[in-house]
Amino acid sequence: MIKAVMVINTQGKPRLAKFYDFLTVDKQQELIRSVFGVLCSRAENVSNFMEADSIFGPDSRLVYKHYATLYFVFVFDTCENELAVLDLIQETLDKCFRNVCELDIVFNYSKLHTILDEIVFGGQVLETSSAEIMKAVEEISKLEASSNSITLVPKTVSGWRNR
Amino acid sequence: MALSSMRGLSVFISDVRNCPNKEQERLRVDKELGNIRTRFKNEKGLTPYEKKKYVWKMLYIYMLGYDVDFGHMEAVSLISAPKYPEKQVGYIVTSCLLNENHDFLRLAINTVRNDIIGRNETFQCLALTMVGNIGGREFAESLAADVQKLLISSSYRPLVRKKAALCLLRLYRKNPDVVNIDGWADRMAQLLDERDLGVLTSSMSLLVALVSNNHEAYWSCLPKCVRVLERLARNQDIPQEYTYYGIPSPWLQVKTMRALQYFPTIEDPNTRRSLFEVLQRILMGTDVVKNVNKNNAAHAVLFEALALVMHLDAEKEMMSQCVALLGKFISVREPNIRYLGLENMTRMLMVAEVQDIIKRHQAQIITSLKDPDISIRRRALDLLYGMCDVSNAKDIVEELLQYLSTADFAMREELSLKAAILAEKFAPDLSWYVDVILQLIDKAGDFVSDDIWFRVVQFVTNNEDLQPYAAAKAREYLDKPAIHETMVKVSSYLLGEFSHLLARRPGSSPKEIFNIIHEKLPTVSTSTIPILLSTYAKILMHTQPPDPELQNQIWAIFNKYESCIDAEIQQRAVEYFALSRKGAALMDILAEMPKFPERQSALIKKAEDAEIDTAEQSAIKLRAQQQTSNALVVTDQCYANGPSPIVPAVGPLTLVKVPSMSGSEEHTAVDQALTQSNGTLTKVDSQPPSDLLGDLLGPLAIEGPPGAAVQSEHSAVTEVEGAPSAVDVAAIVPVGEQTNSVQPIGNINERFNALCLKDSGVLYEDPYIQIGIKAEWQAQHGRLVLFLGNKNTSPLDSVQALILPPAHLKMELSLVPEIIPPRAQVQCPLEVLNLHPSRDVAVLDFSYKFGTNMVNVKLRLPAVLNKFLQPMPVSAEEFFPQWRSLSGPPLKLQEVVRGVRPLPLEEMANLFNSFRLMICPGLDPNPNNLVASATFYSESTRAMLCLIRIETDPADRTQLRMTVASGDPALTFELKEFIKEQLVSIPTAPRGPTTAPPAPPVVQPTSPAMALTDPGAMLAGLL
Repeated sequence: MIKAVMVINTQGKPRLAKFYDFLTVDKQQELIRSVFGVLCSRAENVSNFMEADSIFGPDSRLVYKHYATLYFVFVFDTCENELAVLDLIQETLDKCFRNVCELDIVFNYSKLHTILDEIVFGGQVLETSSAEIMKAVEEISKLEASSNSITLVPKTVSGWRNR
Repeated sequence: MALSSMRGLSVFISDVRNCPNKEQERLRVDKELGNIRTRFKNEKGLTPYEKKKYVWKMLYIYMLGYDVDFGHMEAVSLISAPKYPEKQVGYIVTSCLLNENHDFLRLAINTVRNDIIGRNETFQCLALTMVGNIGGREFAESLAADVQKLLISSSYRPLVRKKAALCLLRLYRKNPDVVNIDGWADRMAQLLDERDLGVLTSSMSLLVALVSNNHEAYWSCLPKCVRVLERLARNQDIPQEYTYYGIPSPWLQVKTMRALQYFPTIEDPNTRRSLFEVLQRILMGTDVVKNVNKNNAAHAVLFEALALVMHLDAEKEMMSQCVALLGKFISVREPNIRYLGLENMTRMLMVAEVQDIIKRHQAQIITSLKDPDISIRRRALDLLYGMCDVSNAKDIVEELLQYLSTADFAMREELSLKAAILAEKFAPDLSWYVDVILQLIDKAGDFVSDDIWFRVVQFVTNNEDLQPYAAAKAREYLDKPAIHETMVKVSSYLLGEFSHLLARRPGSSPKEIFNIIHEKLPTVSTSTIPILLSTYAKILMHTQPPDPELQNQIWAIFNKYESCIDAEIQQRAVEYFALSRKGAALMDILAEMPKFPERQSALIKKAEDAEIDTAEQSAIKLRAQQQTSNALVVTDQCYANGPSPIVPAVGPLTLVKVPSMSGSEEHTAVDQALTQSNGTLTKVDSQPPSDLLGDLLGPLAIEGPPGAAVQSEHSAVTEVEGAPSAVDVAAIVPVGEQTNSVQPIGNINERFNALCLKDSGVLYEDPYIQIGIKAEWQAQHGRLVLFLGNKNTSPLDSVQALILPPAHLKMELSLVPEIIPPRAQVQCPLEVLNLHPSRDVAVLDFSYKFGTNMVNVKLRLPAVLNKFLQPMPVSAEEFFPQWRSLSGPPLKLQEVVRGVRPLPLEEMANLFNSFRLMICPGLDPNPNNLVASATFYSESTRAMLCLIRIETDPADRTQLRMTVASGDPALTFELKEFIKEQLVSIPTAPRGPTTAPPAPPVVQPTSPAMALTDPGAMLAGLL
């Protein structure tokens, strides 16, 4: 099971954090901090794996990928294959966010959330095909767009009446 | 809109980003939260768009680490909104902010259910996502059936069905009953025929969870998994978007192979053959290429295939092929592959026949110990640690020691611990062991725990041949200019004991030894000074004929510390000073320390415990637990040749002893012993204290006679095994033949005693099963629930539980199933009715079969007299008339009890309270007396008041006078006897089994606390 997905920038600020077991806010922040603490001390060209037992408890594994100013981090237990998770980060996230920079992620915070929900579901991988993921996400955005245009009408009407 | 940007959200985010410091950020966030709060309150003016905007802001704030503790109600109520945007916001925020125990969730269950069974697929997806992210027992109970329907109905889109599969998985985790096992296995098998890879991937994850709990029910899925794997391997019907770098869905391949590892074996020859074909193809067809991404995908599959091959017990040829591949991987440049190569090689160690092939890679592995990546260094260390045995221990440990000097800080602790354990486990001779540990202390003293140096002292004390060598070594280290404090401790301890053996060597006269140790005194901390003082006293004693100059010097030191602020130091100084003037008495009291009783090293025990904790629940690991020789302690032969105060332990509890004094020629014996000791190691758990302090304190007999302790453990074990005679078990068995004894984990007696005082806990545990107990007591009725938990991935069968009740208890045990499924827990209620007062104990005769092991244990059940007591406060007005009216035997009995384990009055009062005999303070004018009362319930006596008075003698805590009174002669007698049993052997003291007879009068340490500080303190303790 995947325990957490995080996107942290190289200054240690979380850009996205999702924990699949409920944790208190303080605990979440503590975990993000400790993960960053270890990540930032790692050199380039080393493996993408890190011991996470001391942070997340026994049998935890951590796989990360460093892109420009961002770390993509997956934490999971022994039921998952490390390279497969790394592959997931590379293949799926990479394709969904091709050429994204940190700013895109910061300002598309909600979009990132929606996409992640189509990749990882309750701690399990839902979909690995980026085409399928983008299809699902586009469907949601269409739905939002169409229903928003409808609901906006009564708002203007009621706003006008109230005046 | 989630996907096009929300302006307000962007503005807020950029505001937060522009905050120069945390303080400003907090202000900005607080302002925004205030704004959101007011906006939500005047709900009228909020459009769905605004609601959504605020909710995303809240989520952003939440991610930054601020608690968002409002808006939960609003979020939940949005779920029931009819329109998509509001509903979406409701679901997203609920799943992020609320946990499964939140009360508000209950309000939403109906809406969620309606969305799931409704025909709107987008609503279904929203609801499934929320349920899948939160989980929750209540959701599981009310929604699982509907989710199942979505999954198996082919009329829904794959998008819905794959979410349903994972949602079901999450619900199953919370409550395994939601998946009806009978019908579900067939459904699951059908799901594996699915064409859509998205649904198939999710279904495979679900299958992994299901088979990991109960593979028996899902045999029918096994061939289907193999077929899925074949389909992928042959690239049949795989859409392009699931193919990465020409590899058909690596994720699904990995998951499928993972699922297959939960089946213990594959019996059908055809299925097995097809699977091996696929595996062979993966093993042969993967090569390290330039493209990193392709490498990762291909090797993800390859490593999973390796794990599966290991699991399936492939032929040696294929295994060797795997090791060869791994050997290649650990030398490639790609760090990820090197990392996994080392990790998998460590797992491969569990396959006995390839261990020798792995050893050929030792040089390469040692190179990885110097890799720039700490993750890889750690894996290399683990592998070296795992592959170490008597044949290569010297090389590996010396390599570790060498590396220790250059290793970075983060790894030193682990390195030194591992080196110490290996040195102890596999020492070819003891002098080498002493060398290694002293080097360790020298190089990484900060990381050498007390455990380690205590252990050295223990070995040296127990092995006369070793003593001069160790003393000489200690002397050498003292010459070094700056040494670690631990080195000061260990060397001064050793020299205090054994420096007289060096007397004729240059630089080792008592005076010289004293001077060099005393040089260190100004540099050490208070905890070390007592050890030095003891050493001085010992040096003084060994100086024959006395050297007046040295004597004066040492006396001066004692004099100086007589007024030390530290009580421990002060006491020693005073006592040693007084003693050293008594001449002959000094000789007696400060004589050489007796030999230590043989124990398992606390260090190794710790290491083993840790290994058990992290045991991966796969068949490979299980087998490993049965196979790997947990090497035994390098033992001494103090029982064989030295006068020992302790009866040697006989029976199955004895560790196989290796006559290590004769050293290296005994290698083969060590090997044999290693194999023979398999499976018999857990027994050490039942030895009283296995921490090293305990080890060192052992010979003082403060804790009661170890001989008796051994005896009772012995009987506990025979009881467990149902074995005819312990001696049979202890007899040498041919190598390779495993004794099928299953050893309990923990001490059964202690567990029973603990349960007499509390109402829930573990009654019994062994590697296969854990029996827990939970009890409720109401007057003369008791309701116990036995929790029978199977710890394995295969079922326990022929389970039988028989209650053997004593005459005074009526007991009814509900049906116990004959088979306990893997990893399952069965609850068996047991009704108890107390007919009349008695101290007899009910016994549970429990047996089960695991593989070919038949295990039978007889366990006492904690349905004891005190459980039918109810604490009852009485006032003076009530007490005295009652007390007087119960005038004498047989209703009131008095007895002087001797041989009581001495304990302070307060503790005795606690003890009574813990037996539900309520201490009533103030009733007895004498502060040394205790008065207690309780109501006892049984069918014959009904509710009966019991009164107890204990008169203690402050001058002699080992005796007391006890008076017990009640309206029933049998009750009075039984209660009196019961209390007596408790006082004579205190079960709360975890140090010794309770069945031990009362401790003989022993010299009590003048200050008990100090006796625990260090071995040197024992000397003072004896004074």
